[in-house]
Amino acid sequence: MFKNMLKRSFLSIRRKLGRTIILASIFFMMANLVLAAITIKTAVAAQMDYAKSTLGGTVTIQADMDAIREAQKEEMENGSDRKEIFKNMVRPAVDVETANKVATYSDYVKDYSYELSSSANSASLEVVESEGDNGMPGGPGGRMRSESSSESTLEKDITISGINAYAYISGVESESFTIKDGTYFDEDTNDEAMISYEFAELNGLKVGDSFKIKNVYTEKTIELSVIGIHDDSNERADSNAIYMNIETAAKFLSADDYNDGNYNVNNVKYYMNNSDKAEEFVEKINTDFPSLAENKLKIAVDTSEYDALSGSIEDVGSFATTILIIVIVAAIIIITLIVTINVKDRRYEMGVLLSLGAHKKNIIGQIAMELLIVGTLGFALASLSGTILAKMMGQSMLESQTASSAQQSERNFGRPGTQTGSSTGGTMAPPEGSETRSMKQQMFTNNNKDVELDINATPIDFLLLFVTGYLVIIIALILPSINVLRYQPKEILAGKE
Amino acid sequence: MNILKVEGISYSYTNASGKQQVLNDINAEFKAGKVYAIVGESGSGKTTFLSLISALDKLQDGDIKYNGKSLKKIGGSEFRLKYVNIVFQSYNLIKYMTAKENVEVAIDFDNRKVDANKYLRQVGLSEEEGRRLIGKLSGGQQQRVAIARAIASNSPIIVADEPTGNLDEDTEEKIINIFRDLAHKEKKIVIIVTHSRQVAKRADEILKLRKGKLS
Repeated sequence: MFKNMLKRSFLSIRRKLGRTIILASIFFMMANLVLAAITIKTAVAAQMDYAKSTLGGTVTIQADMDAIREAQKEEMENGSDRKEIFKNMVRPAVDVETANKVATYSDYVKDYSYELSSSANSASLEVVESEGDNGMPGGPGGRMRSESSSESTLEKDITISGINAYAYISGVESESFTIKDGTYFDEDTNDEAMISYEFAELNGLKVGDSFKIKNVYTEKTIELSVIGIHDDSNERADSNAIYMNIETAAKFLSADDYNDGNYNVNNVKYYMNNSDKAEEFVEKINTDFPSLAENKLKIAVDTSEYDALSGSIEDVGSFATTILIIVIVAAIIIITLIVTINVKDRRYEMGVLLSLGAHKKNIIGQIAMELLIVGTLGFALASLSGTILAKMMGQSMLESQTASSAQQSERNFGRPGTQTGSSTGGTMAPPEGSETRSMKQQMFTNNNKDVELDINATPIDFLLLFVTGYLVIIIALILPSINVLRYQPKEILAGKE
Repeated sequence: MNILKVEGISYSYTNASGKQQVLNDINAEFKAGKVYAIVGESGSGKTTFLSLISALDKLQDGDIKYNGKSLKKIGGSEFRLKYVNIVFQSYNLIKYMTAKENVEVAIDFDNRKVDANKYLRQVGLSEEEGRRLIGKLSGGQQQRVAIARAIASNSPIIVADEPTGNLDEDTEEKIINIFRDLAHKEKKIVIIVTHSRQVAKRADEILKLRKGKLS
């Protein structure tokens, strides 16, 4: 019976070529879009997994501003002078030993970094004036020396930026940083630093030259030699920042602050190799290091890098899902209509077959077989072209999504090139607001411009295409099959239908 | 001997004018090796009778038995598949198939491996004609293909509804001869529903339907 159905199906397909071509074209178009959507979804999932494993997520230890504000409020309620409270306020920091110990609490900590920042000046060196300064306080590297704005004389400082690895300089992380001359520092370099190209030009410094700077707080003067000259394409980058390893930066500390090598560091970051484990890590640290919370420090997950990258890709994945659903629904409707019309056109043939003793299930089987044969042809052809379409669609969707996200980012973070400037004054400085914003935006832009989807159909994608296609055919057959079940050979052959 | 028995079948339907009794307690016996002609005026119930004995329509009252096996027990599809084949006035051939392929459909249903040309030759069609699509054949040729398909199905009963209604006299004669050969040589039960006196005359027995009654 199966063989006979197959024979009749092939005959029908071959002889009704027009109908076959139309059906095959519909299956081909549907399959192309289905395969494209499936392939894009697979690529998105793979990219997300990759992003998860490579970007992982970052856990930071930072000042708990809520706790600080709460403490200040409490002090004020107890009658303390507001000015005194702010004057004596010390930004909470974590000591190096604790920072190192925390890193050992998870197998998923890939690496970690911390910084030691301070401000310096030099009688012999000039500082680079950034475009946005215009005498306004704040901005990267800018700082007010006096607490009273009425008395202030604005003076730009040199930023001492000690970091435990060159790779974790924000500009290096966001890939805006390039070494123009010389090399980078490492943990073994001693009293060597990297300076910006602008700073070097302004002061006539070259690799190997030495210069002296003085910490504005401890008044310790250290002679540094230039190990490398960098350029930073991020226009908000601080051209007056001098980067060095943490040991060199620690030399600027007072003996008390140095604390026999257990000095305080800031901007402590733990880089996870799996962002899923970040929350678990945070919970563990909160439990085992209650002193952090006591010192108004907060350990928190920062998945912004992963989120920035995954945002656009996830949107592309969602869009692909939408396309997949629309295509499947449209295909079911179109194929149902075509098959219904086709069944109606062929009711005479069906009547003949029924009069010869065919069961209705055989008739439905023959229609199904015809659709499956033509469908298989369409799906097979689409397997060749679907991946190309997927690549075109995927990249175009990603570009459009990235552009849209970038616009959103501009709206959220402020327009590029506009100095966001912080009015935060006092010795508490770093102007966290503006710097954090610009860094995040830079990170977002850098992450997104490099986003690429490796869109290539896998054997599973092809399998999914065929399974989806066959399911569409089966669903599209339901309504026409009901019609066939209603057919009576007498009615058809007597010409009453 | 193969015998088809019609036992007290009645058939009615309801329309706007009320209940219409088409067949009323029909009893008949059809034996292998004979050609039967069912004649009657239009509206006498000929086509309904044919639909019932060929299992195209469901029995309301009574039963039809082939060698004692009840149609009700066998089931319509199975009865059509194994025992009866129908030749229609309008041929009822599958148009996108060739003459030979149409005949092969019946052979395939019977799961036999026989050359369809054998049956086409039996009704006077050549192999070349067998390769033509149905639309490329004349009415007479198409009716021969329909008869060839009926023979090929290997059914012991062949029911024909006005098989020569669309054919000229010469062709009609040839077709009648084919039916006679099927009954007399191949020992099939041939039942022909016809208006044609010529056809009726050539039958071995004539049954008249009048107001739903057989006489």
